[in-house]
Amino acid sequence: MRFFTKAFASLLTLGLVGLSGLVSAKSSTGDSVLVVLDPSLKRENYSVFFSRLEQRGYQLTFRAPKDVAPAIMEYDVPMFSHIILFTPETKSYAQDITPQSLVSALEQGTNLLIALSDKQTPLSSLATEFSLILPPPGTPVISHHPFPRDAGVDLFTAATIPTGAAPMFSPAIPDVWYRGVSHALGSSPYLVPLLRAPAESFAADSTADGAGADALVDAAEKGGEGLWAGGAMGLVTGFQTNVGSRAVFTGSVDLFSNELAKKHLPLGGSGGHIGGAPGNNRWAQDVAGWLFQETLTLRIDNVTHHRAGEDFTPETYTINDDIVYEIQISKYDIRAETFVPYSDIPDLQLEFTMLDPHVRTALPAVPGKPGTYQVAFRAPDRHGVFKFLVNWRRTGWSYLHSSVTVPVVPPRHDGYPRFLSAAWPYYAGAASTSLGFVLFCALWLGGDVRGERKRGGKKVE
Amino acid sequence: MAGPKQAAKANSDVSGAVTTLWGSYLDQTPDRLKLIDAFLVFIMLSGIVQFVYCVLVTNFPFNAFLAGFSSCIGQFVLTASLRSQVNPENRSEFKDVSPERAFADFALGSIVLHFFVYNFLG
Repeated sequence: MRFFTKAFASLLTLGLVGLSGLVSAKSSTGDSVLVVLDPSLKRENYSVFFSRLEQRGYQLTFRAPKDVAPAIMEYDVPMFSHIILFTPETKSYAQDITPQSLVSALEQGTNLLIALSDKQTPLSSLATEFSLILPPPGTPVISHHPFPRDAGVDLFTAATIPTGAAPMFSPAIPDVWYRGVSHALGSSPYLVPLLRAPAESFAADSTADGAGADALVDAAEKGGEGLWAGGAMGLVTGFQTNVGSRAVFTGSVDLFSNELAKKHLPLGGSGGHIGGAPGNNRWAQDVAGWLFQETLTLRIDNVTHHRAGEDFTPETYTINDDIVYEIQISKYDIRAETFVPYSDIPDLQLEFTMLDPHVRTALPAVPGKPGTYQVAFRAPDRHGVFKFLVNWRRTGWSYLHSSVTVPVVPPRHDGYPRFLSAAWPYYAGAASTSLGFVLFCALWLGGDVRGERKRGGKKVE
Repeated sequence: MAGPKQAAKANSDVSGAVTTLWGSYLDQTPDRLKLIDAFLVFIMLSGIVQFVYCVLVTNFPFNAFLAGFSSCIGQFVLTASLRSQVNPENRSEFKDVSPERAFADFALGSIVLHFFVYNFLG
């Protein structure tokens, strides 16, 4: 009986998800996920999201915020590869979950998914550290569209970001239902917007119908300050750290719930499938794929450099040397579950720098060798200690950073050209004088001893 | 006498003098001295070419210019002194220097000169 229920449930899941094509996709950094679930949230309400994660190969472990075990870190080593914190309203945690411990887990490569709400919690102050500007407590985001509505103003649909702007998403995801809070995005370049608020939404402190007018009036009197509104707000934002770990701050836990995943989009809705299934499931799985380092994950496999025409790496280069630099980059392939060479980075750049980049050139992909990027350039006419620097940062993609230090020395005493072309007349002059002398001696000694004979009209050369 | 006629006569005088000089040189100079003179002319041309190149184009490898130019000058000096010592008309001045001795001096000096020149030429 249990088997049939389970089979039926998984069939239903597949039917709802619509066969997104990702049968089993494991992360490149590990499969263990710790889900910290607020006691007020029931695990069954999020079964679609969690079961789909488990289908993709992740091992989920559930605990409550106040539980002592399993701890997120033991002896400063993270115990899980990824942590999901669906604790939007929890104000007090067990000893192991603090903003500092979460950040140190992030520093060691753990990916985080943190849910925020309109209540002030330790995690909302953590969000501020990630350059997100949260509205005042008690102001959920509301929108008076779409209309007609069957629920309160705090439930609305938000359009997803197209694949061109956000390559971690599969194409043409329908609108998603959303109920929660919004935030403004700070100026950090590490932020990756994952879901933006619709243009007609704003944060207000009441969800009654017709609410928000007071907030609008107050803000207008203040000159527009203090009003969280419009499409510049984010609803779900990601953050990629320098070490490559990713964090996602979502203003809503309901976004991942079964209820909103099954609720049909309103007829006449803007964008997406009119009246059809929402994109909550696909969107959530794509976000999990990005967060758990499945998609847009690159790494540098190998860096080599040598003089043109040679194939070994010398200890030092000489000024004005022709240098060839080669780098191999691979991308995590979800289906193969391993890193495969990747040649499609169009704008990789190499800097040959000593305090300032003396040479800055593009690194194009080599057509015959997948994953290899190569450039040949001439070392500058200056000696010193240089670096081959590749520093590629693009929103959403892993950061590629490689720095190889190499000395460039002036030519040795025998490294200069032996004969200078500008001195050719002088070489010729000296040589011709010597040759003339030898010829003269030969003619003198071979000719007549007595030079008194007078011969007219004959010149001896 | 008219001016142009005088000038023409003067011109013809000059050209006549040159022709006479040249003819007398060819007639009366021994072959050996003519050989030396030819060598001297060649060295002079070589030196002029190098000097003109240095002045007009570049004196960049200055050591090369000095070496080449002084090779020409030194060789000219040695050859000119050989000519004066070997000339039979100067026999009275160089009683204790036979032509063979003069030639040996010339050859030795030239070899030393060329050694220094190639060292300095770079």
